Amino acid sequence: MKLTRRDFLKKSSLGTGLLLLANTVEANTLRPKPLGWKGRQRVREIASLCEMCFWRCGILGNVDEHGRLLKIDGNPFHPLTEGRLCARGNAGHKLTYDPDRLKYPLKRVGERGEGKFKRISWDEALDTIAEHLLKIKEEYGPQAVGYFPHGIHARFFSKLMDAYGTPNAAEPAFAQCRGPRDVGYKLTFGANVGSPEPVDFEHSKMLVFIGTHIGENVFTGQILEFARAIERGVKLLVVDPRYSTAASKATWWLPIKPGTDTALLLAWIHVIINENLYDREYVRRYTIGLQELKRHVQQYTPEWAEKITEIPASVIYETAREMGRNKPAVGLHPGRHFTWYGNDSQRARAMAILTALLGAYGRPGGIYLPTKIPAPKYPTPPEPPKPPRADGAGTLYPFASRGLGVTNGLIDATLSEKPYPIKAWITYGQNVIQSIPDPYSTIEAIRKLDFMLVIDVMPTEPTLFADIVLPEATYLERYDDLLTVSNAKTPFAAIRQPVIEPLFESKPGWWIAKELAKRLGLEEHFPWESIEEYLNYRLAGLGVTLQEAAAKGIVRYEKSKPYIEPGENYRFKTPSGKIELYSRQLKDAGFDPLPVYEPPDEVPKGYFRLLYGRSPIHSFARSQNNEILNAYQPENAVWVNNKMAEQMQLKDGDYVELENQDGIKSNPIRVRITPGIRPDSVFIVHGFGQQSPLMKKAFLKGASDTFLMTRFKVDPISGGTGMRVNFVRLLKDGKPLMASASPATLKLETKPRTARTQQPVAPPPKTIPPMEEVEEEEGC
Amino acid sequence: MARYAMVIDLRKCVGCDACTVACRTEWDVPIGHSRTWVNHTGIEGEFPDVLGSFFVAQCNHCDNPTCIDPCPTGATFQLENGIVKVDPDVCIGCGLCVEACPYDARYINPVTKKVDKCDFCEARLEEGLQPACVVTCTANAKFFGDLEDPNSIVYKKVYEEGAWRIENENAAIGPNVYYLGTPEQLELVREKFGPRKPRLATPAQFLNKVVRPLILTMVGATFLGQAVAFFRQLMKGEEPFDE
Repeated sequence: MKLTRRDFLKKSSLGTGLLLLANTVEANTLRPKPLGWKGRQRVREIASLCEMCFWRCGILGNVDEHGRLLKIDGNPFHPLTEGRLCARGNAGHKLTYDPDRLKYPLKRVGERGEGKFKRISWDEALDTIAEHLLKIKEEYGPQAVGYFPHGIHARFFSKLMDAYGTPNAAEPAFAQCRGPRDVGYKLTFGANVGSPEPVDFEHSKMLVFIGTHIGENVFTGQILEFARAIERGVKLLVVDPRYSTAASKATWWLPIKPGTDTALLLAWIHVIINENLYDREYVRRYTIGLQELKRHVQQYTPEWAEKITEIPASVIYETAREMGRNKPAVGLHPGRHFTWYGNDSQRARAMAILTALLGAYGRPGGIYLPTKIPAPKYPTPPEPPKPPRADGAGTLYPFASRGLGVTNGLIDATLSEKPYPIKAWITYGQNVIQSIPDPYSTIEAIRKLDFMLVIDVMPTEPTLFADIVLPEATYLERYDDLLTVSNAKTPFAAIRQPVIEPLFESKPGWWIAKELAKRLGLEEHFPWESIEEYLNYRLAGLGVTLQEAAAKGIVRYEKSKPYIEPGENYRFKTPSGKIELYSRQLKDAGFDPLPVYEPPDEVPKGYFRLLYGRSPIHSFARSQNNEILNAYQPENAVWVNNKMAEQMQLKDGDYVELENQDGIKSNPIRVRITPGIRPDSVFIVHGFGQQSPLMKKAFLKGASDTFLMTRFKVDPISGGTGMRVNFVRLLKDGKPLMASASPATLKLETKPRTARTQQPVAPPPKTIPPMEEVEEEEGC
Repeated sequence: MARYAMVIDLRKCVGCDACTVACRTEWDVPIGHSRTWVNHTGIEGEFPDVLGSFFVAQCNHCDNPTCIDPCPTGATFQLENGIVKVDPDVCIGCGLCVEACPYDARYINPVTKKVDKCDFCEARLEEGLQPACVVTCTANAKFFGDLEDPNSIVYKKVYEEGAWRIENENAAIGPNVYYLGTPEQLELVREKFGPRKPRLATPAQFLNKVVRPLILTMVGATFLGQAVAFFRQLMKGEEPFDE
């Protein structure tokens, strides 16, 4: 039998009619619904926010008549993504339906780390937690609780911790990610860069990326702007030891020797000042310290930098002049994951200074200015005064954020019990083992605790060590606090609302915090009756109700002012009111007031520098168990330069082990042989090699960069952990593939766990710089 | 009548796989198979003078498709708007079209045992929507429209910006997915991912994949039909056999 086309069309249009009829009955009609999966109909489309990573793009959850989530689309009303979603966002429903997810409150019955639990009721779980927290508060004070949050869903629990009285909240988003960047830019411009990075892609004539690998590092809105700039013919300069996706689109790819970026930046500043390529009027009007800077950079010639960076002086001149020609429309991307070599705040300073010299801050094509969204906080009683922090934020690390804290400092304090004992940890959606270097010390610290509570969606490594595990509802099943995005040409607020009912016995974060508050006698800090009431209060500042906001999920705020007007008497939030090329704040605290290059350890013979970065398929260590994403990228591969691979007689696809400078070996990892990486480095994607057997798909797949980071170098200004200071050699059948000294004999400047020995004895700085207590944005 | 086409700008594409995951969830494409996929040419050259590109592919809805003629049941056919379709009700899953497609754009769905492939999201088009991959593309690198409409985006990209068809001596059958990129990039892509020769079934393959299953099906159907007739007659109390 052969079907004619006419028959076929008739058949399919009949089907369409029927489905349309069914769809229009209940649908929240944002747009027409397509036919889809055989026999399945989308009957509701609910606007919400993604949480497959911290960027939180707008989504539309397509739900069938049984309340089951069929598919996630992008929300076309989202001002930054225009309805686009990355691979992870498109695969988000597989998180909610992951068979391995945490389903019930659990109580540990085996040893710490064993992963043996018994199911308990919510009442028993919350009562147990309250009992421990009250006991610890009584015996040691509230500061004995260390708290590691992540994301907007942790805000309610963070509120609870504030009310409880512990000052010791710390997020890897600072000390393992953007901390030094924020500190360097804030010292220079008086303000953090914020999220998403406000690079004015739309008007840039030239983009400069220092290690920034947009494309592999995916924020949909930023990729969209980046790709449109490429289409427009923007000049792109990429500095990266690896031929990244961004490098493959670049006008100039500078494969710099790792760890020498500050030398390159100083040489660029040298050329731009000495050849009068800077924006004279802007610099005169808005900055202080040009003369000091000019004197300082005389020594940093491109010829000097060539020897250090292995980038020809001629290229340094050429690219510096190109920046000068395109000023002020040069988008020097501030980067994001910034904790590389331990002198990172100074690298950020050098980038900020270069941006200022080009007149690019607050100018079209450079870095645009944020707009605060008027969404008032729900009024609550004052919180108790906080004891001093244990992690060194504001003291040992004078410029570290006291809102986001220093995770490694908190681990040091837990290990050393100085300045006082830490008796309990609470991790909230935060994998402290895979995100903080030297996980061996992290685990040692956990083993010392009296009590460990993990609140999460998936049974990650820290879960294995928890006394109590609380299953949080996934982002598709809950309300969260309002998200406000001020770094946008059209700033906006966005809501997360349940697309489906929470599965199993999982509960939203706001419920967990409020219920626990009742048991801790802190109920007054959660005075709202319902989450809807809470959100309505905050949205009132924008003149809408939750119900109105729920339909599109987005509330635009049109009053933005992204640029400094020509000739405007703009006051920067630095002590001088100007952009501080020369930083008196740093000088007063005993640091270099102008950026200085510090050489990293040289790569030992037969070893490679371990570089790591992102993949568009995965978010840190969070998504490897997702059925779809796991199928796309079940494990990572190690990039090895083809010439070096030849020396080691390696074939593409071979499996090797990585052994670091301290004799730590990785899981077997596949080799990707390529001319697209320097011979002195290897690269792996972060987040693999997971060690929780409860995550069945991700368990022991690929190699973990974090577990190879037995060393890190702390940035004394910000407390951030420089993590690209580890070296590996390649082993096959347990034997090194190149002549190399054994790990025990290596002489390296960066010692293991430097911070632990530094901890209690560092001199306090002369002045404590003013930093905001609480920072709005979360996530790395 | 329209002539649907797609243009993919490889200068913008970052190979993030948003399109392929969106397609998978839109059409329930089983893991291990794809209607659309992202490849990378690999990084060519010697450090630091290297070149590499992503390549996004799917059914090309060719002007002269090689997949239609080999289909023994007529399940594969082309609409006037150029969309090449598979009618799952008629497909017997013999896979001859899979072999015949020089772009390897077809697969046999292991669940339904039918051939499946990109149909430019025809069902979405009927609702006035763009294909799922185009809508979600994070880089806005995929463009879809009517090549016969001078105002369409694909018309501009193909006729004014000079998007390429990825063809070679193995197959030049007028693919309607076009590519923009630097000339070196497109040359590399064509070298690495240009079409193979369409493989047509040998008589033995035809016998194994089509004739036998068909005979078995017919025998089965005949047997079943006779059995049904037999029992029906029994129920009616009629004599099962004539004469």
